Amino acid sequence: MARPRTVRAPTSASLPNNLRIPSTSPSLSKTLGKLSRQSLLDLALTWLDDQNSASFVPFLKGDERGSRDDDDDEALPYPAAETVEEVRQIYEDLQERKGGKREVLERILEGDWRHGLTLRQLAMVDLRYMDDHPSSLRWTALELSRIDPRRKESASKNGSEDWSANLPRIQAASFVKALQQEVASLVKAHYHLARSSTLPLTFLRIFVVDSPYQPPQQSPEIFADSARIIYVAFPDSCPFIYTSVAASTGAKPAAPPSTSIATDSRSLQRLVRDAIPKALSRPHERYTLKATALAAKNLPTLLALRGPGRSTAANGSFSIFADAALEGSPLDPRPADTVSAEDHILGGQRRPLGTEDKENGDPENSASQKVCKRPSSRRDTDTVPLTPDSKKRRLAVESRFGTAGSSLNPAPLDRLDVRFLDALDSGLEDEEEQPSSTHPVVSLSFTGSDVIGGIRQLAELGVVDPHRMPSWLTGEEAVSMATVKSGQRVKMS
Amino acid sequence: MTSHDRFPAPTDPQAEELDADIVSIRAEIQKLQRRKRFLASSLLASDPIQKLLRKPTTSFHDEPTLRLEPPSNSIRRNSISIQRPSPTAPKENLLGIRIDVCTRGGRFAKPYYLLLKRERARGDPEKRFKVHRHTVPAFISLAKLQSVYLPFPGSGHDREGQEDSETDDVELSKASQRAKGARKQDLHAFVRELRRELVAWHLRSDAVELLREKLGLSEAESEAAAVQRLSPESKAGVISVTATAVEARYVRVEWEDGRVGRFKLTNSGIVERAVVIGDKGGVKQTEDAMTGGGGRVETLLDRLKEHDG
Repeated sequence: MARPRTVRAPTSASLPNNLRIPSTSPSLSKTLGKLSRQSLLDLALTWLDDQNSASFVPFLKGDERGSRDDDDDEALPYPAAETVEEVRQIYEDLQERKGGKREVLERILEGDWRHGLTLRQLAMVDLRYMDDHPSSLRWTALELSRIDPRRKESASKNGSEDWSANLPRIQAASFVKALQQEVASLVKAHYHLARSSTLPLTFLRIFVVDSPYQPPQQSPEIFADSARIIYVAFPDSCPFIYTSVAASTGAKPAAPPSTSIATDSRSLQRLVRDAIPKALSRPHERYTLKATALAAKNLPTLLALRGPGRSTAANGSFSIFADAALEGSPLDPRPADTVSAEDHILGGQRRPLGTEDKENGDPENSASQKVCKRPSSRRDTDTVPLTPDSKKRRLAVESRFGTAGSSLNPAPLDRLDVRFLDALDSGLEDEEEQPSSTHPVVSLSFTGSDVIGGIRQLAELGVVDPHRMPSWLTGEEAVSMATVKSGQRVKMS
Repeated sequence: MTSHDRFPAPTDPQAEELDADIVSIRAEIQKLQRRKRFLASSLLASDPIQKLLRKPTTSFHDEPTLRLEPPSNSIRRNSISIQRPSPTAPKENLLGIRIDVCTRGGRFAKPYYLLLKRERARGDPEKRFKVHRHTVPAFISLAKLQSVYLPFPGSGHDREGQEDSETDDVELSKASQRAKGARKQDLHAFVRELRRELVAWHLRSDAVELLREKLGLSEAESEAAAVQRLSPESKAGVISVTATAVEARYVRVEWEDGRVGRFKLTNSGIVERAVVIGDKGGVKQTEDAMTGGGGRVETLLDRLKEHDG
């Protein structure tokens, strides 16, 4: 029980932003090593930015004198700089010349932040990695829904109807405070909120420890332990949230809240996850999280299938509506069936941008576009002359998949799990390979980089009959976990 | 044309010939395109077509006057019927409704679609409508709208995936009986309300965009020229105006002296509430200037300028 000299006291406060992790800990250099050179430089320059440098102070000459006079400078490869400007200049120089990321990494850990990176810096490193690699984690989409019908009743009675969805308006600081209040007694945590630079999302990174002591007793290794990190992403303007916690959703709904003492990181994660809807709630406005049977590695996929946009409730064969691939503007003089779907989609995209100042459905512009688009717009099977048979098949495939799984709609699912509830004797004829045992549970799992796209290709090749495909296989249901009974997806409640 | 090989030495007479051919064909294409353009525009400009176009009172607003009911012809509601493609789905056609919203500059946004299915509830003799698929953005709660205008008995345990959020709306639909008698479905009112909400959203975001253009903040620079840019002094020190989210209900304003504010836009384009935070004080007056004077969002900058000056 050799305690360090610093006094530790159990508190219920959150872990402070400026808690430093010793820069010598190998997990830290591993975490930073995942980033590219450019990202590392960007981060370092962000830290040294005028607005931020107060919270991410680099190691300067002054600190050196104060802390250890006896150390001689020559032994260190990176002499400490005098001012923040000087440090910034070093990184700007590094940015201008080419080189490996190793030198930047070492510069950060052994030079300018040799006194340790703060928790906040570590969080920024992690989020940067996520921005660079949007499919590095598996995300589960959850739906926020109100659990207080009486409140809504009075709202609809008083005449001023508000049809906006149940979106809790989040003020970041107060949300984090509420979350902290929910979990403080059980979990010690560090919170970091940041806006994604590439997607319309706000990330919340929560790092949890189970020690109540202010500087946690554990070794610094745990600070980079990915099992202790929970990500929650809040997409803009839609009643969904995404979390990186493999929650008790889908196949095993509503896992009973275990009464065991929460010490392992999984139960810590669960505690935090359960606290999120409570933290979002306000008096007379309580929320709960519901599973939406969708988990995917790719955040853009989640945004497309459970996001604020048009495609949330129109997928598979209905994606033509989401992409507005069917008809153009009402002022378009051309008959709808003479224009290719790609043209409609592009037209729709062009319009809000307002790049050209012409009339709606401007005939010459779209026509010229069509001229150059048409020949190239056909997908890869371009060169093969179409037999009537394959033409028919292509039409069938398009009617079933819409634009999903094609190059136009990049929302790949990396996994699709299906469970059949049908008894074999009465059920589907597809399962003839199964021996006739009593009530076997048949489940199918598809994995790959783009499951729906793959199935679409199979259908295009004629391996699968597109007419007979159930809708959960064509991406129409927009789920990654499905329970199927007599061809229809059933909701497990 | 891409398959045409470019040799390092283009002296090959055959290649030159082909090049010349290509050039002449391109010229021909361009000529024909120009002719087509000309014909199309003269056709559009011709009297009968113009008369046809003008028949309904055409009044495209290029300034976003936030009107609840836009010009009658800028909304077209089409209904179509669509066969459900899934082999396991009932072989009944879906009722498709298309809503077109006219945005600023007389353009139409991508059409919104509603696809309704007819279903029979347990013990109900008549079939009722139910939203099957739609392309309405998620911040407009179709579940709420449905529960009021398209009540469906026992919609709590829906078998189709998309209407998951209805479970807690069963109680709501009970509450929404109001004067609707025996919970009759009102498809017209449903579509009307939905369209109103969509139009209001577009007008709100157009209004924010207009403010941004006036301040020269808009990305669409080419169009910004159409709106007269404000002189630096008439910007009232505002350096940023952004909608806080896609739904453009709340708008964040930043001033160059460090004040930040936020205001709420109503569906009819009124600044309903405004909050400004700053170090120097004088903040209450700014708030009043934002909400006062009729509160129209289009004239927000003018009011701020008056207040400053």
